[in-house]
Amino acid sequence: MKEVKFTLNGVPQSCTREDNVVLLDFLRKDKGLTGAKQSCDRKGQCGACTVIVNKKAVRSCLTKLSSLEGAEVITIEGLGTPDNPHLIQEAFALSGAIQCGFCTPGMIMSAKALLDRNPRPDTDEIKKALARNLCRCTGYKKIVDAVKLAGKFLRGEAVPRDFMPDERAGTIGVSLPRPNALALATGTGLFTADVKHEGTLHLAAVRSPHAHALIKSIDTSQAEKLPGVVSVMTAKDIKGTNRVRPDQPVLCEDKVHVLGDAVAAVVAETEEQAREGVLAVKVEYEPLPVVRTPEEAVDPSCVRVHDTIPNLCYTHPQIKGDAQKALADSHMVVEEEFSTQLIHQSPLEPEAALAYFEEDPENEEEPQLVVIGRSIYIHYHLKVLQDALGWENMRYQQVFIGGQFGIKMDITAEALAAAAALHVKRPVRYVCSLTESMWITTKRHPFTMKVRLGADRDGKLTGYSMDFTVENGAYVSAGQSIVNRALYMLSGSYNLPHVEALGKLVYTNNAWGGAARGAGPPQVNFALESAMELLAAKLGMDPLDFRLMSSVQPGQSISTGQVVDEWPYPHCLETIREHYERARKECAASRNGRLRRGVGLAGGSFGIGRGGPDRSHVAVELMPDGGLTVYGSVADPGEGNDAMLTQISSHLTGIPLKEIRLVTRDTDRTPDSSSASGSRVTYMSGGALVNAIEVLKKAMDEVGAKSYADLVAAGKPTKYLGTREAETTFLDPKTGQGAPFESRVHGVQMAEVEVDTETGEVRLLKMTAVVDAGTLINPTIVEGQIEGGLDMGAGMALRERYVHGETKDWVGSRFPTIRTAFDMEIILLQTPRRRGTLGAVGVGEFVLLPTAAAIITAIQNATSGDRICHLPATPEKVLKSMHKGGSPS
Amino acid sequence: MNPKSWTEEIAEKLAEESGLPELNELQWETVRFLRTYYLANGKAPLNRDIRRETGMNLLEVERLFPGGIRHGARRLAGLPNPKSC
Repeated sequence: MKEVKFTLNGVPQSCTREDNVVLLDFLRKDKGLTGAKQSCDRKGQCGACTVIVNKKAVRSCLTKLSSLEGAEVITIEGLGTPDNPHLIQEAFALSGAIQCGFCTPGMIMSAKALLDRNPRPDTDEIKKALARNLCRCTGYKKIVDAVKLAGKFLRGEAVPRDFMPDERAGTIGVSLPRPNALALATGTGLFTADVKHEGTLHLAAVRSPHAHALIKSIDTSQAEKLPGVVSVMTAKDIKGTNRVRPDQPVLCEDKVHVLGDAVAAVVAETEEQAREGVLAVKVEYEPLPVVRTPEEAVDPSCVRVHDTIPNLCYTHPQIKGDAQKALADSHMVVEEEFSTQLIHQSPLEPEAALAYFEEDPENEEEPQLVVIGRSIYIHYHLKVLQDALGWENMRYQQVFIGGQFGIKMDITAEALAAAAALHVKRPVRYVCSLTESMWITTKRHPFTMKVRLGADRDGKLTGYSMDFTVENGAYVSAGQSIVNRALYMLSGSYNLPHVEALGKLVYTNNAWGGAARGAGPPQVNFALESAMELLAAKLGMDPLDFRLMSSVQPGQSISTGQVVDEWPYPHCLETIREHYERARKECAASRNGRLRRGVGLAGGSFGIGRGGPDRSHVAVELMPDGGLTVYGSVADPGEGNDAMLTQISSHLTGIPLKEIRLVTRDTDRTPDSSSASGSRVTYMSGGALVNAIEVLKKAMDEVGAKSYADLVAAGKPTKYLGTREAETTFLDPKTGQGAPFESRVHGVQMAEVEVDTETGEVRLLKMTAVVDAGTLINPTIVEGQIEGGLDMGAGMALRERYVHGETKDWVGSRFPTIRTAFDMEIILLQTPRRRGTLGAVGVGEFVLLPTAAAIITAIQNATSGDRICHLPATPEKVLKSMHKGGSPS
Repeated sequence: MNPKSWTEEIAEKLAEESGLPELNELQWETVRFLRTYYLANGKAPLNRDIRRETGMNLLEVERLFPGGIRHGARRLAGLPNPKSC
């Protein structure tokens, strides 16, 4: 321990700390500077904590405070503020480089260190400088663009206002910076772990080391005696149902179902004391046989994961016409089995929650419990918490969300923190490690799919059958919905007159699946697009032309029997044709050497909404100053929903953007806009906003009001609720027929790869994506969604695989880095949708549908080997695919 | 049930199913408040809102309906519960 003197953002510091204290903890805990984030358990893997020390970008989680004698330290807070931002911060905001914003402060600090020493970096130099900074949202393209733009600003070649859209351009179809961008760029946007509350206790969970075991006893006595430990909770201390899902306890009562299940929670004065308390809790387990695979699980002799529910816990058929007969009568049939892997959605922000009481003037007996967290469905999760914990007077308060990709359709840390706050009647904070976050969150479900696809002599599709098994893992979460959603979009973009499918959901003792960007359709679309490619080859047809002639046309039906009245997919295919022809020529020139290039196409069509009945509420209030406040639980985990709400509001009311205010994060202050899932927010909540403004305008017209004062003088309310209700149905449980969506987003993607035929390594050179999401409200944001989705899809195709208990950090999960980033070209088409919000639908999840199939086709095109049917396409599988007769799995 | 397709006749039918041959004035008052609140606010009221508006204490309201407020009164009023996907 020694005294260290240094400057922090120009202010002299003098402090004495233990030798192992790192700069990140000093900044966040001692100084309250939370712009530097913690994601990777202080392993130096994510760069979210990057600051500048003596002009170099360093990871503050690895930098010992004791090493800083005489150093000059600059953090994101030392660069600028939302009102007076640094030029680099403005460049990030203007380039659309900020989605969830969790990585942004670290990115900006790395960029600053680079630009200070090299004012004109090229792409490779930027990639090298940012190589230690991870981003899950953007696919890195706009981050590279932002650094280049910042260079221009810093060199005096341009100023930020040159890149602001002209006000005369209006607010629809205009790439305005997101309203929240500068808060995130300056590190002032608070994420859950950044929120401080006085007198807060800390929670650590006792988690099962077994995948399947009976809990024989829990002895908390030693832990309770430890210094600082306030309480040790077990399931009996929870007063409600103790369930966050019907089959998933907050704290396990008598059995654990998966490695990492929580069995007790220690609440203590400090994090360290809570963790020490965890080590002192003695749990006696009786291990049970572990159900490891779906095949094992459905064997009649297999032990049940949940005693009262069969392991085969859900099935859903789909029958349209007579697929078996159609396939039997077909000229050509391809038959293949495909599989996709378990993947962690990998939001950069670890799980966290804070719960505390606020006095309720209306209820002296029952104060209000405030739960702060990162849910994307706050009204539903409020209800879940109320039921699980047996406390009604509760409010869910969302803060900034560090990425989600479906994972935040489930709550995790919130339930334990809230349960503990209720138990000890004090504020409780629970911030999980990255490893723990991986243990307690949902994953992308692995699918195995047996497929048959047939065509007649003219290449016309005849029939399609698919049996798919979804490994559920230990809890259902959204599992049933995943099966349903796979059926909603089973026939992809194509006219398949006869379809037969059966989806099965099977419990195992593995990590459990949940909502994951696309949630089912990316898996089944991989199989369908692969089968389309195999069938085109068998028929000797051009893959693009085959897709074009197979497309659904308005008036035809999809696999659910729903007849569609708009289907702009063919236009997407025609648009990519010239790019495809260019790429084919280029690839043909490199077919003989060690490094061979290949090109692949795949398409997709994605239904917008929750699937089946869907409703959203948004309210607007005309304010005394002439501004407009928009109320709705419209989560924005990075998609830019803040821009969507403000741009639509301004467009429809003429009120300037800066006078549109959003209230979106608090269950007390918002109507229920449902979830930020299913790519539904623009369509459903944007639609509810349009309706609310219409109702407001009607009320004003009725009394001839032109202003707030006129409305008030006429005795009219100033706040109006809008509703958007989808005219959709669930599927018939026996036939799988129904009308789950009103509208869809369509697109086609082209992958260009280079395969090292000696090592099997695949380098993704470029993805070209044509997407028609209807009217564009903010083109840069739409582009950003597509770019990030392409990067995630490439991870699914080539690298990512989560192994529960083994995958513990970002290196292990093979998180995509800027080093694996590839060239992208995004082509946006705009066919306004009849029922869209000003013609717009959504885009965020669709992107993942075609990517894996396009990349796998490109690999096969490069190697002329067998098709890889089982993801991910690791170098070993690529090499195997090149040996004739070898199994490419 | 779609909250828009709710009618008083539907409420009476649902009440009958849950063992209430007919709804008394207090019960109607509560059901009507729930609907008014939902249609104005786009969500179900919390208990404190119900207490403030009806003037009854929670126990009184809970006792008015088989299933209490959450599973009784809300259902009769045709209020949807937020559902997971």
